[in-house]
Amino acid sequence: MEEALEQPQLRVFLHPLLHPALLPVSYPRDIRPTWSSIMEYNGGSVIAMVGKDCVAIASDLRLGNQALGISSNFTKIFPMTNRIFLGLPGLATDVTTLKETFRYRVNMYTIKEEREIEPETFAHLVSSTLYERRFGPYFIEPVMAGLQKAADGSLKPYIAATDLIGCLNFAKDFVVAGTASSKLFGVAEGLWEPDLGPEDLFETISQTLLNAVDRDAYSGWGAEVYVLTKDKVIKRTLKGRMD
Amino acid sequence: MPDGSFAHPQQRQFNPYTDNGGTILAIAGADFTVIAGDTRQSEGYSIQTRYAPKVFRLTDRAVLAVNGFAADGNMFVKKVKQRLEWYRHAHAKDMPLRAIARLIQTMLYAQRFFPYYVYNILGGIEEDGTGAVYSFDPVGSYEREACRAAGAAQSLVQPFLDNQIYFKNQKAAAGQTHPTHLPLSDVLSIVIDSFTSATERHIEVGDGLEIFVVVTKGHSPQGLESIRNVQEVTTRADTDRMFVIRRELKKD
Amino acid sequence: MATADGGAYSYSLTVFSPSGKLVQIEHALAAVSSGTTSLGIKASNGIVIATEKKSSSILIDDSMIDKVSVICPNIGIVYSGMSPDFRVLVAKARKSAQSYWKLYGEYPSTRVLTQEIANIMQQATQSGGVRPYGVSLLVAGWDITRGPSLYQVDPSGSFWAWKASAIGKNMVNAKTFLEKRYNDDISLEDAIHTALLTLKEGFEGHMTEKTIEIGVVTVPSDADLAAGKIEGTGRAKPTFRKLTEEEVRDYLAM
Repeated sequence: MEEALEQPQLRVFLHPLLHPALLPVSYPRDIRPTWSSIMEYNGGSVIAMVGKDCVAIASDLRLGNQALGISSNFTKIFPMTNRIFLGLPGLATDVTTLKETFRYRVNMYTIKEEREIEPETFAHLVSSTLYERRFGPYFIEPVMAGLQKAADGSLKPYIAATDLIGCLNFAKDFVVAGTASSKLFGVAEGLWEPDLGPEDLFETISQTLLNAVDRDAYSGWGAEVYVLTKDKVIKRTLKGRMD
Repeated sequence: MPDGSFAHPQQRQFNPYTDNGGTILAIAGADFTVIAGDTRQSEGYSIQTRYAPKVFRLTDRAVLAVNGFAADGNMFVKKVKQRLEWYRHAHAKDMPLRAIARLIQTMLYAQRFFPYYVYNILGGIEEDGTGAVYSFDPVGSYEREACRAAGAAQSLVQPFLDNQIYFKNQKAAAGQTHPTHLPLSDVLSIVIDSFTSATERHIEVGDGLEIFVVVTKGHSPQGLESIRNVQEVTTRADTDRMFVIRRELKKD
Repeated sequence: MATADGGAYSYSLTVFSPSGKLVQIEHALAAVSSGTTSLGIKASNGIVIATEKKSSSILIDDSMIDKVSVICPNIGIVYSGMSPDFRVLVAKARKSAQSYWKLYGEYPSTRVLTQEIANIMQQATQSGGVRPYGVSLLVAGWDITRGPSLYQVDPSGSFWAWKASAIGKNMVNAKTFLEKRYNDDISLEDAIHTALLTLKEGFEGHMTEKTIEIGVVTVPSDADLAAGKIEGTGRAKPTFRKLTEEEVRDYLAM
């Protein structure tokens, strides 16, 4: 039932560099790697949400090789500072590379500027870093959540996401990315409401993520959730369906 | 070539199918069923019409929602209605819901090698008076469920229904269990929320919302009184009652 | 080798003299010391930087001469020394500020920009085929972390933060004057007047709006900060600006 009948005309995403016309002629057609999409190669999804004086970011824990599950302990969310968390759904090899790239760049910033980077500045750094590879991109769609220091010293929730070449999307409510993104959009749009406190926000983001990834073959296998408040970061690991 | 012939072989292909967007949804209650669909019909990025019904009344207690290729959908509904009329002439009664479901399977599978490019959701009241939803794939594979979304925004709506109707990933309070069926008022809010959400995030969903509600004979349609624009379309006394709710959805 | 002209060590920039000096840098400082006087004063609610602008001939159109330059909306600089070298540094500093914007979506802090300029100036003391920049700079700016800050950068590439400083021909007298006049809670208005008074000491000729230039940093109000970035441009309201000739004339008249 769930599987749709294939359309007579199949549309598959092909990265320009992998377009058959660009592959060497000597590459035999029948052993050419077929990537239905690089973004679906390893699977995985991330979501971030804004609450009242708090933010949350959550991801699944699956690492796959197309349909084959490899690991149920593959974390995609990394702390950049005490107040910024970055989620990196997409091609797993690029998750590792970008995690290290941003660690390096944030450390350099901290030393040079003698201060911690703010979420909004970090979002621009992410955008610039990805756009550097405009014509040979990292296959990652980053999602970030943080608490931004306002001029009066208060901390205000900040979330953002970019596409794989760094086009920024600042949203007031929630941002999603990964193989379950359409499902995440649907559930989040139904469950999210403004001014949720940390515990309600945790429940909302967890329910959104779990129910979305349960309908996505490429995401799931457990989840982790971070809730950032002005005085603490709460990390919780969720059990989910393991099928 | 100057003589009108071609230097290289030319390949042309006719694609008989189009996706006309839109989304449908049905939820069964204990003694009612809600069947809904948006009314936008689109082709690519163009909106062909803002009002093209996708939900059709078949009998006093059966409603069919059809989504996918609109031309196939309309023709399919026409043929189902014709078969139901023949049944009425032959048996002097309406075909029961489960029989309609099987009929739809047979009709879809008959076109196994040139399918109707449509997803069907049949909703209504069974002979035992319970609400029922049957969902089909384009070649007739079907099952009875408590709820189902199909169409352009299926991926947005179905996980939301899993959570809100089946209480997936939710733990019941200590010593309690989740209800197997929700009251009509709850179901209607979930349906409306689903469509406003889908409209917000999917370009092919919007314009108008048509919700059919079928309530088992002798049962009260409690939960409808607070809803605006309810029209009763019951044709005969002493049958199940049927209502239509028409609402606006965002048009952008 | 201690000859008056610096001896053999004075030509090769990258070679230390036995006494540990890079003589070319000392020559660059001499060029600064013969330049027109510039000064900067940090006030409680802003900063003023000012300089005298003297033309060697009355035939020069002095409206074309810019000695106080805006680098980015929150930072401006003034110099003493060689004007061509200053122009090159201004161009480099502006490029640096814009590439910072491109990377981070905001302009650099005063300290970071000062470091960038200082690095550029230092490289000219250690590279082959170049000479040091013949200027000292006063960098004035405002940023959210450090508030108003005033830095001086020398041809060697060394830099310090100041409450008030002067560079150029009359720097010794000017500094003595500033030491007497300065206090920690001076207002920007008072600082501008002090700046004018300091310049007046040892000013050759008549001081008018045509013969001096003033730049000010104003600390944004809480309302400005709360308003944040201006809709559309994504930029904060500028905190550094040059005073117009009219404004300078008004200050001189007061």
